[in-house]
Amino acid sequence: MSLSAFQRIGWQFSAVDSRLHRISAGWKMAGMLAMCSAAFIGKSFPNLLALLALNVIGYRLGRVKTVEMWKDMRFFMIQTVIVVALYVLRDGIYDGVLPGLRTSLQILLFFMPGALFLRVTPSSQLMRSLRRWLPERIAFFVFISFRFIPYFAREISDISMAQQLRGARIDKRSLANPRNWPGLFHCLMVPLMIRVMKTAEDAALSTEARGFGKTGPSHSSFPVAKECE
Amino acid sequence: MKSSDDHLLWGMFSLREALYLSFCAIFIVIAKAVLRLHLHVTGHSMVFTMFFMILARGCVQRKGAATFVGLIAGVMCLVLGMGAKSGPLVILKFLLPGIVIDVAAILYPLLAQRYVACIIVGAVAAGSRVIILGLVDWLVGMDRELILQHMVLLSVMNMGFGAIGGAMVPPVARRLAAHGLIPSAGPNP
Repeated sequence: MSLSAFQRIGWQFSAVDSRLHRISAGWKMAGMLAMCSAAFIGKSFPNLLALLALNVIGYRLGRVKTVEMWKDMRFFMIQTVIVVALYVLRDGIYDGVLPGLRTSLQILLFFMPGALFLRVTPSSQLMRSLRRWLPERIAFFVFISFRFIPYFAREISDISMAQQLRGARIDKRSLANPRNWPGLFHCLMVPLMIRVMKTAEDAALSTEARGFGKTGPSHSSFPVAKECE
Repeated sequence: MKSSDDHLLWGMFSLREALYLSFCAIFIVIAKAVLRLHLHVTGHSMVFTMFFMILARGCVQRKGAATFVGLIAGVMCLVLGMGAKSGPLVILKFLLPGIVIDVAAILYPLLAQRYVACIIVGAVAAGSRVIILGLVDWLVGMDRELILQHMVLLSVMNMGFGAIGGAMVPPVARRLAAHGLIPSAGPNP
């Protein structure tokens, strides 16, 4: 599996150019927080519908397709059914449906700006923004984790192939049977964890050699954190 | 897992420990992505999330190990856009189970090698994620009774899958301990 696999998942960045895309991540985050807060403040239907319209306009300004917007929102349809059902069970159909719908709409409007934010903010912009808030060392580990995703995806594939050649039932068809699930953990996870420990050891040596974690004056012109951007 | 004396990240982990924990976070993200492509069952990603979090805490027996895994996984999911169902709260959804696992491991250091403990902690930690949803429900003004019912409904699947993930940890942790790769009953500073 490669990074391209992540691109097929919903709630992803829409790679188009729009006014919203060009705004800095910090401003978009501030706008998102304001919209989320508004979902709690505006409790009447007219206010909530106006806020919903504002979110939809945001999607339109961000040139996000209607299908993609639906993909972002469909999870909340299930939530709506659950919440309305709980209200109906408690208050009856006449008294329960409208409060249930209002609450569901509020929940939707709380999460919708976040989904829009992720649609119009590229990962690089988000990472730059996060680096200002996260401590430098935490940011380093986040960046190094991204670097290693393709490596470990390849490792998983290699170990899985080797174990299947030895007769382990961990191919897709066999894993459809829950009785084979323990095999996945025994045959795949133990070698994988050993591989992870070895890689962590090597990566630590490599990082230390570049002067990471040193508190004294730097002896290198190439700070590790900058290299990993 | 062996550790060196020099500690970074507020004196909590050595560099190789922190890297190992970051790599465990990678597996959570990979598993979440892969399962999302093929399954559409609520809470199913909890199997691997709980597995890697509890195993990470078993391998790096230091306070905050599981929380650190949760933090890195949460930030990665946020950046990759894998948590828009929770928006920016996705970080909290990974942090909370990590905190639960760390607290459990402080109370019971042999956690990763005991079936019952792993199943209970896996279920509770996975269930703790619905606290975020409960918080949102409370903020929008839902009644306490309905919030509780909503949380129970959503936590059942999460807890079930979390327990399965927890149950998978002891055989792996025991095999790693048998090979001397992790301490069988290490200190818990």
